[in-house]
Amino acid sequence: MDTVTLWLLFFAVGLGTFLVRVSFIELHGATRELLDRSKDILMLLPPAILAALCIPAILFTRPATEYQLDIAQVMAALVCILIAKFSRSVFWPVVGGMICLWLLRWLQ
Amino acid sequence: MQFSAYRAEFWQGVRDLLPLVSGVLPFGLIAGANGVALGMSPETIMGMTVLFFAGSAQLAAYQLIQENAPFVIILVTAVVVNLRFAIYSATFAPLLAPMKRIKRWPLAYMLSDQVYGLCSVPAQQQRSDGERLWYLIGVATSMWLSWVLSVVAGIALGASIPSEWSLEFTIPLAFLAMLVSTITRPILLFVAVVSGLSAVLFQMLPYNSGFIVAVAAGVSAGLLLPRLLGRPVKPQEGR
Repeated sequence: MDTVTLWLLFFAVGLGTFLVRVSFIELHGATRELLDRSKDILMLLPPAILAALCIPAILFTRPATEYQLDIAQVMAALVCILIAKFSRSVFWPVVGGMICLWLLRWLQ
Repeated sequence: MQFSAYRAEFWQGVRDLLPLVSGVLPFGLIAGANGVALGMSPETIMGMTVLFFAGSAQLAAYQLIQENAPFVIILVTAVVVNLRFAIYSATFAPLLAPMKRIKRWPLAYMLSDQVYGLCSVPAQQQRSDGERLWYLIGVATSMWLSWVLSVVAGIALGASIPSEWSLEFTIPLAFLAMLVSTITRPILLFVAVVSGLSAVLFQMLPYNSGFIVAVAAGVSAGLLLPRLLGRPVKPQEGR
């Protein structure tokens, strides 16, 4: 993507995100029902989004047209999950996973 | 003196945010460094950071830019990732809606996970609107500043990280760690499994549209399963 397109994209995402943030504030007074109806969906969205973002990127090597399973990445992800069970921050699971990945890549 | 009381609330908000910076900083470092790894200029990365002011959406956008996904798909994905802000918007609507636009819009722009976490607790809800507002302004502005500075630090750091370190793999790992802390109930695990499997299944779909399809599949499955089992989804406070 060239720089101009990137900036256009960033402005578009910025505007879209702002509209989400400002949505219920601007509609104040007429939104109880809308919120109640969309509550289930909004509650289920985070796990759906996060899983769809990370699972393919972890399982397969990128970029590639034919998707090949990457064992080192899968092991790193397991370490990451294990640490995430005990630490509430995002930092230590990522560090643990990366160290695991580097070790396995170095051994290979 | 009302004004000095509000000033005290502002600084209380700043102080309460400080411990959370330990979580914001590494995330900002990842965001800044990955932008450099993608070959973006510091100005572009900072522009993106300020326009988005949303770390998860920024990382998701990186991943898709890297895969040469089309404009519309990146736009839709990033905004869908940010849909959780609608809950925050609704939470703070009673407080912010009566304000003038010139104050209301900047505060809406600064709504974030951290602001929601600190400002929506019952102890805050019981206070006067003025006190709540100034506390929120303290949290929101210091959060904005710490996020932007963390990304700047990430850009500085990213320039010195060699590409053999596979820095880009920190993005899915960060999402995975967030996913683990999101799953607090069996239904949410079920949604994650359906969505993750669908994402793998549909990744061959043209134009990287598999993500949207997978999210839709995961959420639909989560809405349908309790109905099939004859138990409605329990309404939950907050998120």
